[in-house]
Amino acid sequence: MNAENQFCRRTRREFLWQAGGGFTGLALTGMLARDGFAADSHKRTTAFVNPMAVKPPMIPAKAKAVIFIFCYGGPSHIDTFDYKPNMIGMDNKVVPVKTFGRGGKKNEGRVVEPRWKFKQYGQCGKWVSDLFPHMATCVDDMAFIHTMYAESPIHGSAMLMMNSGRILSGNPCLGSWVTYGLGSVNENLPGFVVMLDKTGGPISGPKNWASGYMPAAYQGVVVRADKTPIHDLALPPGITRNEQRILLDHLKEKNLEHLQTRADNSELSARIASYELAYKMQQYAPEAVDFATETKETLGLYGIEGPTEARTADFGRKCLLARRLVERGVRFVQVYSGGAHNDDNWDAHTDIIKNHSKHAGHTDLPVAGLLKDLKRKGLLDSTIVIWGGEFGRQPTAEYATGTGRDHNSYAFTMWLAGGGIKGGVSVGKTDELGAQPVGEKFHVKNLHATVLQQMGLDPNKLSYFYGGLNQKLVGVEGAEPIHQAIA
Amino acid sequence: MKRYFVPFFLFFAAPVHADDKSSTFTKEQVAFFEKDVQPLLKKNCLKCHGGREKIKGGLRLTSRDSILKGGDTGPAVNLAKPAESLLIQAIEHAKDGYEMPPDGDKLPAKDRATLAKWVKEGLPWSATAAPPIAAQPAVEPGGVVTEKSKQYWAYRPIHRPAVPAVKNSGWVKTPIDAFLLARLESKGLTPNGPADKVALARRAYYDLWGLPPTPEQIDAFVADHSANAFEKLVDMLLASPHYGEKWGRHWLDLVRYAETNGYERDGPKPNAWRYRDYVIRSFNADKPYDRFVQEQIAGDELWPDDADAIIATGYYRLGIWDDEPADKDQALFDGYDDLVATTGQVFLGMALNCARCHDHKRDPIPQADYYKLLAFFRGIRPYSDTRDVKSSNNQTDITPAAKRALYEDGLKARLAKANELKKEMKPFEDAAIKKMSPADQLKVDDGKRDEVVRKVPQYLTGSDRTAYSRLRRAYDAVMRQPLPDRDLALSVANCDPRPPQSYVMVRGNPHVRGKEVSPGFPEVLGFPTPTIPPPKAGAKTSGRRTVLAKWLTDPANPLPARAFVNRIWQYHFGRGIVPSPNDFGKLGEPVTHPELLDWLASELVSGGWTTKRMHKLIMLSSAYQMASTNSEANAKIDVGNSLYWRFPMRRLGAEEVRDSMLAVSGSLNPAMYGPSVYPKIPKDVLAGQSVPGQGWHTSPPAEANRRSVYVHVKRSLLVPVLNNHDAADTDLSCPVRYTTTVPTQALSMLNGEFANEQAVALAKRLQTECPDDLTKQVSRAIRLTTGRVPGADELAKDVAFVKSLQEKYGMTATKALTQYALLCLNANEFIYLD
Repeated sequence: MNAENQFCRRTRREFLWQAGGGFTGLALTGMLARDGFAADSHKRTTAFVNPMAVKPPMIPAKAKAVIFIFCYGGPSHIDTFDYKPNMIGMDNKVVPVKTFGRGGKKNEGRVVEPRWKFKQYGQCGKWVSDLFPHMATCVDDMAFIHTMYAESPIHGSAMLMMNSGRILSGNPCLGSWVTYGLGSVNENLPGFVVMLDKTGGPISGPKNWASGYMPAAYQGVVVRADKTPIHDLALPPGITRNEQRILLDHLKEKNLEHLQTRADNSELSARIASYELAYKMQQYAPEAVDFATETKETLGLYGIEGPTEARTADFGRKCLLARRLVERGVRFVQVYSGGAHNDDNWDAHTDIIKNHSKHAGHTDLPVAGLLKDLKRKGLLDSTIVIWGGEFGRQPTAEYATGTGRDHNSYAFTMWLAGGGIKGGVSVGKTDELGAQPVGEKFHVKNLHATVLQQMGLDPNKLSYFYGGLNQKLVGVEGAEPIHQAIA
Repeated sequence: MKRYFVPFFLFFAAPVHADDKSSTFTKEQVAFFEKDVQPLLKKNCLKCHGGREKIKGGLRLTSRDSILKGGDTGPAVNLAKPAESLLIQAIEHAKDGYEMPPDGDKLPAKDRATLAKWVKEGLPWSATAAPPIAAQPAVEPGGVVTEKSKQYWAYRPIHRPAVPAVKNSGWVKTPIDAFLLARLESKGLTPNGPADKVALARRAYYDLWGLPPTPEQIDAFVADHSANAFEKLVDMLLASPHYGEKWGRHWLDLVRYAETNGYERDGPKPNAWRYRDYVIRSFNADKPYDRFVQEQIAGDELWPDDADAIIATGYYRLGIWDDEPADKDQALFDGYDDLVATTGQVFLGMALNCARCHDHKRDPIPQADYYKLLAFFRGIRPYSDTRDVKSSNNQTDITPAAKRALYEDGLKARLAKANELKKEMKPFEDAAIKKMSPADQLKVDDGKRDEVVRKVPQYLTGSDRTAYSRLRRAYDAVMRQPLPDRDLALSVANCDPRPPQSYVMVRGNPHVRGKEVSPGFPEVLGFPTPTIPPPKAGAKTSGRRTVLAKWLTDPANPLPARAFVNRIWQYHFGRGIVPSPNDFGKLGEPVTHPELLDWLASELVSGGWTTKRMHKLIMLSSAYQMASTNSEANAKIDVGNSLYWRFPMRRLGAEEVRDSMLAVSGSLNPAMYGPSVYPKIPKDVLAGQSVPGQGWHTSPPAEANRRSVYVHVKRSLLVPVLNNHDAADTDLSCPVRYTTTVPTQALSMLNGEFANEQAVALAKRLQTECPDDLTKQVSRAIRLTTGRVPGADELAKDVAFVKSLQEKYGMTATKALTQYALLCLNANEFIYLD
């Protein structure tokens, strides 16, 4: 999908979907990449192309799937992975420091020392706080990016930025781009899946998994780790699966009769096929969330059973489901830690200890379990796991009293693991307080570029023609992957 | 912190240095360059300022000449004044927003010193350094207006072409047919014969109403054998208010209509529904398109006393709005970008938005054109100056005189009553105040009586206290009593009559001003720069938008009429004559029938810009009435039907799917207009919100069952049946709806609450209309959902199916019929039109 030569515009693409251009899904990408595509614009035939059909990667791929643990609200980097030993002893000192959060721009503030002790872990000797004793055991698989930055310190726009690369609403999400670029290998499950926190969705709700100017086929599908994982998957009350089968058989018969004199219209056959897919989805999706075949040991690994069960089972189920979905070919799984507002997520404005203890307590063991399980199953090599929020938190207090921290989008930490990511490295340095980057820093777009590249999509060439522009996830200016984090 | 990919060099008016062509350097200088400078450039600069691709800011540091020539903002090095060179300022981070490297710290001091020395010594270069890389020639350079670029078809004046001669003149019912047939004949294609009358009736009802015809309506049309039967049908459909509900929705797609602001709170846009009603009313009234455009662009300036003209300016307020932007200037210009992008695309079919940061890559649209158009809007203040969704910037009082009198009378009555009570309270208060603290007494003297009177009861006893409290309660009740309504409209309001100077924003950065611009039209169209009359004393607006509105409807401007007729065509034939209706430029799709487009455009203008006349012209053509069946012979030549040898089949749009289900089940509430309704959204969909259910005030069923055009459009929460069937994305202008087919649609149509409720209602309707006669019930179901009278075989099969559900699966008659109703609502024939 070379930007210079590509002329696949929205309407033409639309024709490709509704009419298919006569190509199979595999050929579609090839066609789009070809110089002469524009010249073929009138050859609109009517063979169907499933928008989710598998497409080959543009460049050699290291990873096949992504699991994004989204710590909504903004976890504090200096209390977790960005070790600031020089802050010890500075508690309550008022220091000059530039900050910008929901409380506006400030030039000084009262230091809130990191509230947890740090220890070194792994071969790489990474310093990790006591908040994450379990994740800490996986540091040799993780690449820490300490100088992430975003363009907004406000949840709504920063969430959009982390998910879609822009602070403006209306753009497709990372998951949409990945499924648009690669399709999905399992037609019985959605290709882009979102799991929400038990307290609710994040701010702006579905905008965070919307496909923007791309067709709705690329939007995220909300999946729950319970008996009816997908909306409208359950049969209507009083109807059995067998009865629905009978109905579908008769529907198919009627539709085939209708098709007889319209055989050239592939949309009609696609719609017939979509009912069969829906029927199969009803069979396979519950299978994906059925943990009966998982061992007790595995359930323990995720904290679904065991001493921490009360705190960790809920998030553990989501992490285990994430692995099971990836195993079944789902491309992009986003799991939200934290939902709704205030202390229901990582947004620790008043009491960092209470807030972060709660959320770390819910997620530390399950996320570590996920990494370990993926690794022993040989899936970590082909699965990128991302951890982080829409921004980090300030080194200083938000109010005159207490330990609450305001938002910090100047610098924050995220980590990546698996899928060709280099383990045990830390990229980027922040100042003594973790307020600002020192030296190289990485825009959210660099993170997106990294993910796309590992998935076999050239971030600077993967484009979608809309509004007169070859739109890219990383913007028209482009962005480089974070090379230091790539093995 | 730098939050933008900013330009590194200011717009700079320094002359290009031509005096150094003979520069020669010593061996030491060359060695210095090769050993110290070149590695630095390579390491730090050439990634963005080196190769062929992705040259940032137009600046290449790959040759001495290219450095002296500089980038978009002028020479990088000033040999006469080395220290003032932009390159030096950039690496020293001497100017905010211009720092290089752009992310992170300055280069080490040593490296900066090296570069400074290099510049000071006159940019020594080495003969062995890599040869300069020439700029890659663009396919065809855009951004510049040339005589040749003015000849592009879209920018040329509309010339009414002669109607072409054709062989099969019997097929030609309107000139449209002649234009199409001439092309078909030249390719050896034969147009399809006419569609059968049922298919034609369904086509016409859906195209003009977005609703299925009832069996009775179909029967009436089929039974009418007069020569002008179809014309009568079209006239009837156009005269119905359902027409505006369907065509108004098309317009709402274009203008990114939504009733909330998006972002974190996704707060409501108060009174947005009035704009929706205005659009429906305008289509129903067949308001001339030029007036329709003028009202939306400048209704407040042109007809300040006409409520509809005020409501129309709601056009400017429909976009996304961040109530808590991280960067106010950025947000302000993002807001203007929404207006420039939407206006350019919708009214002109021009992708002017591509020129926000740089000249358009392919079309002759210089960056200044973008900012000249923006200047027309510069007097429009932001949606709101605070986080409040209701603002004096976005609401105008449009209360009609009679109603206003009621309001004013109410206000007067309230004040009179309140004053009376105040008078009665005063003696009690005065007595109490005398007992209050000196501080409180002082407050009374300072005119802050209201603050202290709340304490009065504390200083009263016995009957005084009781009497005073009674008066106080009465007073509070009077003040709380609602006043008669006033009507407010979402609109532009509180505009700036003297807008600030406009500038080209360098590389689109709202913090970096380039050259000054004043309101003007895209250069390529060749109109003179407009004179904006200075605002009169006391003027409420600058009058700039009036000038724009007149130009957007000037018959000499070729784009508006072309853009609009193209859309009318598109919404009838499924594809525009220009298939990319928001972009007539080179990055859009090529026009397929330019003469036809011009003929239609000239008809539109000469016919007084009325839309209904254009519908008739199109629908009475043979082309519109063709069958949609395939033809092997034609398909071999034009498989994509780009020349219109058949009428294209189409799936129902999102609103049509929902409205049709409601219509055939007998649940549709045809009430028109008014505040939006909120159909039930299932709990697990609401669960995606951060506060489930927030902003969704579920309506009672009858209200909820109104047509989809009246359903509240909340940016962050979509009604599943509409979302599943590709409703318009509302964040940007939506020129073409997608048609996607995915299994989750089937899931919602089979298992979803809405589909099953409609199946229950349809079954009930069948039982009511055809009691105790399964064959009649089945036949009625097929007629309601397909329009067609079923064949005997089909009927027998379906009856047997329903019976088998009862016999084999033990379903009751009602349950079996409900399952059959659900099947009919899922059938392809219900969802697709021939």
